[in-house]
Amino acid sequence: MSVEIFVTDKAGLQKFYEAVIAKNETYAPVEKFGKYDFKRVTSLSTCNPDSPIAKTMSAKPLFFPRSAKIMKYTATSAGTDVMETDEDPLAGKRVIIGMKHCDARSLQVLDKVYNWDFIDTDYQKRRQNTIIISTRCDKAEIHCFCTSLDYDVENLDALDILIVNGKDEKIYINARTEKGGSFLKEYIAGLTSANGAADGELKQQYNAFAASFRLKMNYKEVNEKLAKIFDTPEFENVSANCVSCNTCAFVCPTCHCFKISDEKVRDTGVRYKSYDSCNNGYFTLMAGGHNPRPAKYRRWRQRAMHKFVYYKERFGENLCVGCGKCTTSCPVNISIFEVVNQVAQ
Amino acid sequence: MEQLLVPMICKIDKVIQETPDVRTYRLKFREEGRMENFKWMPGQFVEFSLLGSGECTFCIASSSTRKGYFDCSIKRAGIVTADIHNGLEEGDEVGIRGPYGNWFPLDDIKGKNLLFIGGGIGLAPLRSLIQYCIDNRSDYKDFTILYGARTSSDLCYKDEIKEWQDNKSLKVILTIDKPEDTWSSNVGVVPKILEEVVKPGIANTKVITCGPPIMIKYTILSLKKLGFADPDIITTLEMKMQCGLGKCGRCNIGSTYVCKDGPVFTNEDLQRLPDEF
Repeated sequence: MSVEIFVTDKAGLQKFYEAVIAKNETYAPVEKFGKYDFKRVTSLSTCNPDSPIAKTMSAKPLFFPRSAKIMKYTATSAGTDVMETDEDPLAGKRVIIGMKHCDARSLQVLDKVYNWDFIDTDYQKRRQNTIIISTRCDKAEIHCFCTSLDYDVENLDALDILIVNGKDEKIYINARTEKGGSFLKEYIAGLTSANGAADGELKQQYNAFAASFRLKMNYKEVNEKLAKIFDTPEFENVSANCVSCNTCAFVCPTCHCFKISDEKVRDTGVRYKSYDSCNNGYFTLMAGGHNPRPAKYRRWRQRAMHKFVYYKERFGENLCVGCGKCTTSCPVNISIFEVVNQVAQ
Repeated sequence: MEQLLVPMICKIDKVIQETPDVRTYRLKFREEGRMENFKWMPGQFVEFSLLGSGECTFCIASSSTRKGYFDCSIKRAGIVTADIHNGLEEGDEVGIRGPYGNWFPLDDIKGKNLLFIGGGIGLAPLRSLIQYCIDNRSDYKDFTILYGARTSSDLCYKDEIKEWQDNKSLKVILTIDKPEDTWSSNVGVVPKILEEVVKPGIANTKVITCGPPIMIKYTILSLKKLGFADPDIITTLEMKMQCGLGKCGRCNIGSTYVCKDGPVFTNEDLQRLPDEF
């Protein structure tokens, strides 16, 4: 969709952010020990909308909480009672600032699995009530490879409002969705319309960004080759160092596997839905001892294939957005980029 | 999502000790009118929770043509199933979500000869279909049940098997792995008895099989040897599941969700899956 593009400068952008934060329930990257996590913020000075991708936790927990209560219950010999849990704290109207395009793209990918057959209405509501505002990166980070994948980074509509750094300290503010357009209307006082003059600069900025990538792959080729080589010993080589810590899955913006667990003390208990990972040895272990993925390389194969083949086959999207968070966080330096490229060779 | 994961409460109506390690729990919904609205097809499963211990996936072992209740046959195999066996008696309450998954291809088997091949607790999902077909007996032609277990005491549903044996329109063949003094029927593993005793004809016949993975593997080999085509061999898979809704990612085999696309597959479907089950 074509929407008006506004132009401002650094001070104007700060004012815009401040106005957004003042008027809305806003979440943004907040620093702690050199790393960033998305937290509720009430002033711009406590957060950093331009935190580096590698050091910022995905905003996934705002849509898919790390651990959510399914229900509370009491179970005694006299009977069982299931009680509603507290209201969803993430269901209200809100704004997320600084959720980079890779992270925002992951939501478009996750929409597919949450909206097929049984519909996750909590997730849907959180999605609908959220406005995402973020700056487009100027330079790729060391483990980034978003431009190599199956989505159009330049024209992405996963962000509602895109901010682009132009020439001569100019900053462009651009609504990418209808939702973003009507949101922006409330804040245009103080902003100047760029009236088409911005198109060239936006393109230039994107081209410079796209040229800055260290990592490049031929996605189509990797996807097609992986689909044909389930039985390759290469998976053993690439997964040899993995310590099955599952960090990659927890920081990944698209990993969505979960487990259901009970915590009961005496007669009352809570049932939780929490993050899980296919790298866990017990993930597919059945009562009685049968496990279809008993070895580490099989679990890594599942991880790589689910991301680059199975999800694409099933839902038409790649389940990796190329943000490199897993690689940065991995204690033994396993890179999903290297894994899929090495196996596909 | 969270609401979809909240179970409904069922009361245990009856507990039947089938074998030393298998018990059948007969369940009814606690809430008035809920049972009548609980509709399932043979082959579907439920998520069964013992609140405090956890949730497990079990097939529904009875047919919806038998009104007013449903059965889950549970083998003591892991942590939750041990708690179920140790703790659950008549009158206790459990949580149930479902029914989930696909079901046996009822349209495809109509008008056909049916051959059921079960091993051990694998008879549970078949029992749902067997009951359904017995209750609609005129829709099917020859009706054969081959059922085996390690020992005679490991045979499930002994009383019901007697009823099946007394039913002149069914042919029932039982087998156990090793000879026993009081056992006068067949001895040998299921695939062997299939080839040497049952010797089924392939014309117009559908085979429905379930049992331990090793039995299914060799039974399918025997069936292929006898000339059965892949689409005529129907089985139901066991995979670790948690949500049953096609979300939690646990039961995936390739891009297939066993909880949504399965658990019932023909051997033709299975050929297309990566070898990881």
